[in-house]
Amino acid sequence: MTSDTASHKHSTPVYAEAPSPVPCQQRIMLAQDASHAEVARFVEAMQALQQPVTLVGLTGRAPHAVQQEIVSDRASLGQRLTVLLDDAPLCTRLHVSGDEAFLWHCHALAQAAGLADEQIELIRLGQRRHLYCVHCSCLQEIAEEGEATCQDCGVRLLVREHFSRRLGAYMGVCLDACDPRGEGRP
Amino acid sequence: MTAALEVQVAGICQLTPVVREFTLVPVDGILPSFSCGSHVQVHIEAGGRTLRNAYSLLGDPADRDHYRIAVRLQEASRGGSRFMHEQLSVGDRLRLSPPANLFAPHSRARHHVLIAGGIGITPFLSYIAELQAKGASFELHYAYRAGLTDAYLASLRQRLGERLHGYDSLQGQRLDMGRLLARQKLGTHAYVCGPQSLLDCVREQAAMLGWPQSSLHWEAFAAPEPGAAFSVTLTSNGRQIDVPADSSLLETLEAHDVELPNLCRGGVCGQCATGYSSGEVEHRDSYLAPAERATTLMPCVSRGRCGSALTLNL
Ligand code: FES
Repeated sequence: MTSDTASHKHSTPVYAEAPSPVPCQQRIMLAQDASHAEVARFVEAMQALQQPVTLVGLTGRAPHAVQQEIVSDRASLGQRLTVLLDDAPLCTRLHVSGDEAFLWHCHALAQAAGLADEQIELIRLGQRRHLYCVHCSCLQEIAEEGEATCQDCGVRLLVREHFSRRLGAYMGVCLDACDPRGEGRP
Repeated sequence: MTAALEVQVAGICQLTPVVREFTLVPVDGILPSFSCGSHVQVHIEAGGRTLRNAYSLLGDPADRDHYRIAVRLQEASRGGSRFMHEQLSVGDRLRLSPPANLFAPHSRARHHVLIAGGIGITPFLSYIAELQAKGASFELHYAYRAGLTDAYLASLRQRLGERLHGYDSLQGQRLDMGRLLARQKLGTHAYVCGPQSLLDCVREQAAMLGWPQSSLHWEAFAAPEPGAAFSVTLTSNGRQIDVPADSSLLETLEAHDVELPNLCRGGVCGQCATGYSSGEVEHRDSYLAPAERATTLMPCVSRGRCGSALTLNL
C-alpha cells in the first residue's frame, strides 16, 4: 500500500501562498525572475525554517544573502536542475516561481528528474498562460483572453478552463466548426 | 467473486521451529501467473468455520506449475496458522483465492530499499527474483531472531552478498531506521513488510525526515484482531446476524453467504467498504478518512462496539 495524495491531473491547479513548513533535507528554488519581491518573501520564509536553500534564477538577483546562481536560458536551467537533483537527498523540496507556462515546464523537468508531485510547490507570478491547440498540437502563450487564433494552423480557438498539467496548458478548441478560421463564409 | 483455485499440498518444509513452507500444485491445469509482491488468500477450515488468511507468494513469478507460501505459527493464532502447521499434510487439498497484488515495486524507482521483519521477508523473495532479473538497484534490510524467524537467511546471504543487511535481535543488532532513510537519494522507493511495530517505526522516521509518501510502500496483512461480540442487521432483507468475538465481520458475513469484494483483509485496500446507517462502530482500518467513518466501515477489520447493533446497507 502507498498512501498517495490524490492528484487531479486536469483540474485548475492550486498554487502556493507560502513555503509549506514541512521537514526536508534541502530546498531548491527556481525563479523566472529572482529579483521579484515574492521570491524574496519565499526565500526569507524558507531561511526561517533553518533548512538549506539554493536559488537558481533565469534573470535578476535576489537581494538576499542566499546561495544563488543565474543561468542564461531555459535549456541551461533544465540542465542545472538535472545536475542539482541527480545526487540530491530524497527529502528535497522544489519551489518554482514564475508565470504558469514556466511553472509547468519546470514541473515536468523536476518530475523527470525523480521528484514526486508532492515535493514540488509552485508559486504563480504574472498572468501569462500556455494555450494548446487540440487541432494541430501547437503551444502558444496567451494572457487572460478567452479566445485566440492558433499561431500555427490559424483556427480561431476558444480557451477552455480545462488545464492539462502534463502540457502545462489550457485546451483550445475550435470556436466555430462551420467557420474555423473566422474568415466568414463566401 | 472470481472462482477459488483448487490446489494440493505437494511439499512441506520446516524452515525454522515456527516457519513452514508449503509447495502447492494445481489439482488440474496450470496456475494463474502473478506479479512480484502478490499474495493469495488460503481458505482454512478450522474450528467449524472458514478463515481466509493472506500469504505472499514466494519465488519466481515466472513459475506457473506451483506456488510456494511460508507460514509463521502465531501464538495468538485464531487457528489458521496452527491448522497450517499441525494438521495440513502432503496430499491434502486447499482452496485459494487467485493472486492479487497490493504491494508491487514502483516501476520508475531508481533504487529499491526492502525492509523486512521476521516472516515479513516473504513478499521480498519474489521481488528479489524480479529485481535481479532486471538488473535493478536494491538493498535488503532483514531484521530477525536467529534460529527462529530467520527463514531463508542463508540462501539470501549467498544470493545477495553485500546487498543483504541482517539484524539479529538476539545479538542486539539494531537497524537504525532514521539513518537508513536519511541517506537515500532522490528516486528511491522503500518497501516494508513485518510486524506493526516495524511499520510504525518506518512511518514515524519517514514523517520526521519529510519523506514523500508516494515513496513509501507497505504490505499490511494481519489477521483481524478479535474484539467483543456484536450483531448486525442487513437493510435489504432485515436479516440479523451475530458476530462472535473471535471472528471478523467480513468472515461472519461470508459464513452466511454474504460475499463482499475484498483483497487485503487488513483494512488497507478499500475493497470491502460497506455503508451503515446506525450503530456504534469501532473503526480499525487505515483506509477511510475520518469524515467517511460516520457512514462507512471496513468489515475486514472493524467491528461494532461491545453489544452494539449495526444496520448495514447490504
Ligand atoms: S479487504 Fe481490504 S480493506 Fe477490507
